[in-house]
Formats: sequence, C-alpha cells, structure tokens
Amino acid sequence: MSERFRGVLERMTRIGGVRGALVVTADDGLVVADALMEGIRGNAVAALAANLMKRFNRVSNAATVGGLRFLHLQADGGTLIIVPAPTGVLVVTIGGPEMNVGLARLEMLRAIEVVE
Amino acid sequence: MSETRVVEAWTQKPLEDFVTETGARLTLIMTPAGQVLAQYGFTRAVDVMAAAALGAAIFSSTMEIARLLREREFEALSHQGARHGVFLGSFETRRGRLLALVVYGSDATLGLVQLFFEELVAGLAAASPEHVERRPVLAADFERELNQSLSSLFGR
Amino acid sequence: MVDDIEVMTAELVANPGSLIFLELGETLRRRGQLESAVRVALTGLEHYPSLLDAHDLYARILSDVGDHQRARQVWTQVLHGNRRHLGALKGLAFLCFWSGDADGALDHLETALAVNPADQSIVQALQTVRAMEPHSMADAPTPSAEPVFAGLDGAERGILLVDDRGRVLGGRLEGAEGADVSEHAAAYLAGAAQEATRTARMLDMGAWHWVVAESEAGNIHASAPAAGSLLLIVRDRGVPAGRLTMLAERAGHTARKWLDGQQL
Repeated sequence: MSERFRGVLERMTRIGGVRGALVVTADDGLVVADALMEGIRGNAVAALAANLMKRFNRVSNAATVGGLRFLHLQADGGTLIIVPAPTGVLVVTIGGPEMNVGLARLEMLRAIEVVE
Repeated sequence: MSETRVVEAWTQKPLEDFVTETGARLTLIMTPAGQVLAQYGFTRAVDVMAAAALGAAIFSSTMEIARLLREREFEALSHQGARHGVFLGSFETRRGRLLALVVYGSDATLGLVQLFFEELVAGLAAASPEHVERRPVLAADFERELNQSLSSLFGR
Repeated sequence: MVDDIEVMTAELVANPGSLIFLELGETLRRRGQLESAVRVALTGLEHYPSLLDAHDLYARILSDVGDHQRARQVWTQVLHGNRRHLGALKGLAFLCFWSGDADGALDHLETALAVNPADQSIVQALQTVRAMEPHSMADAPTPSAEPVFAGLDGAERGILLVDDRGRVLGGRLEGAEGADVSEHAAAYLAGAAQEATRTARMLDMGAWHWVVAESEAGNIHASAPAAGSLLLIVRDRGVPAGRLTMLAERAGHTARKWLDGQQL
C-alpha cells in the first residue's frame, strides 16, 4: 500500500469505534487502499459505499442542493461515513454504532488532502 | 424488462438474484467451450452465439497468458467502456468449470458486479448437480443440441 | 436507417427464425411503416409464441394503429407472464392516460419506476401525467400538498413523506428556484433507501436508521419513520446535522401519527 495512504488510514483506525478505513474509486467501487480489522470485507464496503453515494447524489441533485460532500449512514449495529475527494476517489470509514463520527470526519477531511 | 432464460434449471435462481442485485444488462452462464447454460437480456440468438464464442475465446487466451506467467489461472477480467463495462469470471461447480460473461451499464459498478459475482458463484456451486460424464458429441448431435439450447434460451 | 432495414430484412429472409425480427419490427414501427411492422411481428410470434418481448412489440404496433383494446389485452397478457415487464407497464400507462384514466396511468408508471428507479423517461412521464390531469381534479388536494407536517419548521417546502415505491404521501419539497421537486426527489429516494437497506444488511450493520448527507447547497436527512414509508428533510447549509436529526425525529413522530390515521 502506498505510504501516503498508509499513514492516514492507520490514523483513522485508531479512532474509537472505527473498524476499517478505505480509499475507494468512486466510479468503480474498487479498493485503492485499506486498513481493516478482522471480519470487515473491504471489497464489499468499497462496492456498496460507492453505490450508496451514487444513489444519494441523485436524491440531492433532484432536491437541487447539488452533489454530496459528506454522507453518514447510521444503522442498528454500525456506522458508515463516506467523503468524496475531487480526484474521483472516496474515503470511507466503517465502524460500530458508538463510532466517534466527529473525530472520524476530521481525519477523513485530512485524508482528502493527502489523496488529492 | 427481459427475462432470464435457462437451458439447465438449477442456474435460474442464482442468475435472477445476480441480475436483480447488479442491474446487469446482459449475462451469460456458459462452459469454457462456449456452451450456454443460461442467459439474461439477449434478444437475438446470433448475439448469444457470438458473445459465447468470444467469451470462451477470451478465457482461453487469458489461460494461455496465465500459463506463460506460471500462474494457475486468472479468475476474472474486465473491460470498461464509455457507457458499458464487461466482466468475465470463471469458477468451479460440480457441473465443471463455468464462465460468467456480464455486461453492465452506468447504474452498476465493477465493484458491485464483482461483489455479487461471488454470491452468484456460491449460489451456482450450491445448486449445481453432480458432474455427468458426457458422451462424445457427434456432428449431427451437436446441431440438434445447439438448436435445442437456443430454443430453451429464447422460450421457443 | 434505410440501410439498417435492408440489412435486417436480408437477415430475416436468410434466417426466418432469427430474433432480428424484434429490432426490425420496432424500426419499421418508429418509421410509421405499420403494415410491414405488423407482418414482421406476427411472423416472429409464429416462431416464438411465448417470447414476451415479441408480444410487447405487437402491442406497441396495435397501439400505433389505434387498436387500443387489443393492445391492452396483449400487454395485460405480457404482465401475466412477467409482472415487471417495463414495456407492458409503460404501454398500459399510455393507454390509461389516453383514455383519461390518470389514476391507472399513475399506478402503472409507479410500478415501472419501482422496477427501474433510474429510468428518467418514467419520471418524466409521471410528471407529464400529473401536470395534465383534468381540471375537475384540480380542487382535490394533490398528495404533495397534504398538510401532514403543518406547524413544523419548513413544512411547506422542505419535508417530504414518501412510500417505499417512490410515491409522494405528503409534505412538499421545493427546489432552489421555488419549483416543486417533490416527485422527482421521491422517485430517487426510494432507490437510495433500498441501497441503504442493502448496504446495512450486507455489511452486517443491522437495520439502518437514517442517512445524513451534506452537499454544496444544503443538508439532507433520510429515514424510514414507519414500515413502507420514507421521510426526506432538506435544509440549507446553515442547519447543522445534529439539528437536522432532531427535526427528523419530530417529523417522523408526526408522520407515524398521520400514517396510523390513514389506516383506520
């Protein structure tokens, strides 16, 4: 894994509740780089996160508020956060329901600067 | 919306599930020799035959490349165009080695196709009957079997 | 185009069982050569009597020649074979609209949208049917004007209640320039919610509660307040995510009470 991705992804996994962090291609939903705990299927997170982002982008465009810059899915047993970078990749974090979303978001925005 | 057409019934459910989840435009399940077991989305027999033949040829070529590189095999390859993507994957079942040729549009992504290809493989592997040793095919038999397959694939 | 017809015709002559008849018949129909299109379709059906796409082609030609009754029969048969057949759903929607049955047209189009939420032609057809409903229906409250969220902040332009097939149940969503974008957003929300459900399930996250998303010009909050329903709240960028979630909880409570009332 590229060194520049390694550092940012590992920092993200140190945040409370985070079980995995990935850089994913937005168009194809493929993994560019990842740092995952056991049991997290990186290819599934990548594919589904990319698709989820596409679907909600259609909602936000239909509502005429423009393309998305941040998406947070909260579920019974988990949290998924997606932040797009201008370069056509997504930074994705997946974790438990108790995940510190605020901290994760800050790290993800820093990660965007690295992946650009 | 097109229908799923199958020659071998055990392929139907896994194929329908795959098409539903991915929104694939076209899908062929076939043997490496180009014999089609099931299809979704094709409306012309000539297209099915061409796609099957080309898919089998591509698989055969990549197997040769793998041999040169001393790899056991390449399990999947993909091509991305402006409006469509093509995915070709191979897998084992009790029925023998099979190929899946998938054409998808902008609604799907390669990642999604790959993700549900894994489920397709698992579904087909679970549903496939035991391998049956097939008798040698004579030229006359081949023509009749091909026509029967095409009829099944197009609901005739 | 002429060359295409010649090529396809030559192929069909050389191979009468070829499925090229589908493409040839449709091309002839679009060019208005209905007599030829009928011959091609009927000959094709002799070879493939159970091919639903062939029946769909025949029904489209019947509709073009004005035999709406027969077209309806054929499309209805197609739906018996495959209740998600997009051609039949769109065809029946057209026939309903043509005969003044806007409700019937909307039913078929909404089912078609559930089959393919990304089909823009269906979204536009829905808007067309709703925009051209007879004046006698003008006094009836449109679903998007149903005052489900009266009293809540932004009720008249930023809260939308939708069923899981993408149909507006209540509330209203206004776009950046004041236009009503309720139906457009509702159609895409259904597909997005299905994706959220699938994502949470496949990643072993359990049931999803809500999605909050920030965009260039606003923030959105999507949730499912009750089974079979979806709630979309849109606010400008000045409303932070936490406040949006609180508003969504209030709106969700209101939506559940209203939905319970509808079922009595």
